[in-house]
Amino acid sequence: MKIKRYAICLCLVMFAGIILYSQQEVVISIKDGMPAIPLALPEFITQSPSPEIRAFGKELHQIIAGDLDYSRVFQLLPKSYYSYIRPLNPKNIFFKDWQSIQATLLLVGILSESEQKDFLFEGKIYDVKSGRFIFGKRYQSAKSLLRLVAHKMADEIMKIYGERPIFTSKIVFISDRDGNDELYMMDYDGHNQTRLTFNKIIDYMPAWTTEGEKIAYTSYRGTEAGLYIYNPYEGTRKEVMSTGTNYAPSFSPDGKKLAFCSTIEEGNSEIYVANSDGTDIRRITFNNAIDTSPAWSPNSREIAFTSDRGGTPQIYIMDAEGSNVRRVSFGGSYHDAPAWSPTGDRIIYVSRVDQIFDLYVLNLRTNKIIKLTESTARNESPCWSPDGRHIIFSSNLNGTIQLYTIDYDGRNLKRLTSRGNNKLPDWSR
Amino acid sequence: MKKLTIYSLAFLLVFSFIVSCKKKVEEAPPPPPIEPVEQEEPVVEEQPVVEVVEEEPVVEEPELTEEEIFLQKSIDEMNAEVHMDMIHFDFDKYFIRDDAKPVLEANAEWLNKFGTIKVLIEGHCDERGTEEYNLALGEKRAKSTMDYLVSLGISADRIKILSKGKSEPIDLEHNEDAWQKNRRSQFKIIGK
Repeated sequence: MKIKRYAICLCLVMFAGIILYSQQEVVISIKDGMPAIPLALPEFITQSPSPEIRAFGKELHQIIAGDLDYSRVFQLLPKSYYSYIRPLNPKNIFFKDWQSIQATLLLVGILSESEQKDFLFEGKIYDVKSGRFIFGKRYQSAKSLLRLVAHKMADEIMKIYGERPIFTSKIVFISDRDGNDELYMMDYDGHNQTRLTFNKIIDYMPAWTTEGEKIAYTSYRGTEAGLYIYNPYEGTRKEVMSTGTNYAPSFSPDGKKLAFCSTIEEGNSEIYVANSDGTDIRRITFNNAIDTSPAWSPNSREIAFTSDRGGTPQIYIMDAEGSNVRRVSFGGSYHDAPAWSPTGDRIIYVSRVDQIFDLYVLNLRTNKIIKLTESTARNESPCWSPDGRHIIFSSNLNGTIQLYTIDYDGRNLKRLTSRGNNKLPDWSR
Repeated sequence: MKKLTIYSLAFLLVFSFIVSCKKKVEEAPPPPPIEPVEQEEPVVEEQPVVEVVEEEPVVEEPELTEEEIFLQKSIDEMNAEVHMDMIHFDFDKYFIRDDAKPVLEANAEWLNKFGTIKVLIEGHCDERGTEEYNLALGEKRAKSTMDYLVSLGISADRIKILSKGKSEPIDLEHNEDAWQKNRRSQFKIIGK
């Protein structure tokens, strides 16, 4: 017996060694940011003989696992590890077992039938080392909202680590899949792609309001390209500017202001700032050159933008009132579409070199520039995820223009769309 | 005698009655004749109006040959027969090239001929620029086209400009030929 126990112990130590080694590898590869937290996500327990509930449980588990895997905050333990320890008993959890396979967090999910709705899901998070219950959530839901329940649970887990929730965020974009450029929105992972506008005119350059409830966008009506604020949930539309060419809306993170471009004066693109409801419009750039692509800093005090006042399009930063303009991009002759990271220290932008567009990240603290994508295509319109770990952009990598996400360090390139051409994404905060 | 006086009185009565009746009859007709006379007069007046109207088309017919015939068409029909050629631009540039000047001069001549026509100038770009910068560049191209027409004497009130960036290419290929075609200012009639 003793020999057997020693053998098991030895095995566990060896496994622990392997896991530790593999973890160290991960730590090294994530040069920027903190190491991922090992999280155990065993199969959810189904307290019902119904095969339907069992199927819901499998699907929920899969979606939550996908979310957490994508997060770069958590690192899911490989499924094979679970076979080395005793099966999970939710009433009596052996935390030593979970510790032995290097789990820091344990998510226990229980599914049961619900009298009013399709299913009842209960998710509980435990700290493995202390064996302490951290928090739990209970959702009673219909089958149709299963993905939302999974994303909400994953967001709760992000929140306990002080992270901004991203899994219930939405992406608005332009697609011509139905023959004409129209507004669409989808989940962060590309699911639930929904058409929002139904007209025969071009809709262009959408941007979420700070609360993510409304969308500002350009609509070509007759001889004008007006800027409108649209509420997709109520179907209402408010006009901001209806004469001239008006575009590139960007809402300040504090929710108070809306920056956009207009050619209303002198047929030249200038940057304007209005209240977030579109009132009190003020011009903040004054010159004969093109000023475009305004992007707010996370503290809403500065605006990054593109200008060709120096001869070629370059990235500049100015105060939100238009003063104190300074150039931040150097080298290269064509930079555009800046987007300020929610952490405030980085600006991503598009740079054109030999007719190829790639994404570059400028670190404002170190003044170092990283080339994020390496392609022979046109990667355009980058936008950060609410937590700043991911970037969505459009690319014609595979011929047609599609939306992709990539992580801040150039890993995990993932395609989200496939039908028609899809472009100009904006990720809700 | 009595009989005579009775007869004569009776006759007088009858006569006076008849006369009075006749007077009434005579009095009644006059108003009608006056009215018809009044009615007839406008009819007489109308007739020359009709004659003038008949004369006018005769005068119009020679005018209809050119502008009037064209102006009678709907705006869609006008746009269907292209009267103003588009012009093209250099890569990343918005100045009017020498080869575009004769095209604009011809367009200005046409606009001078049809003095009431209003046009929209749309600025377009090729796919080798970013969405945002291209939208601004397209506007610059439309503006420089407009400025050139204004310098040729076309009133700025007759021209509107709009940028479509790179969202409406006319050639979907990805080569120099297609890009050159797509970097353009094009004209559209929006009013007459």
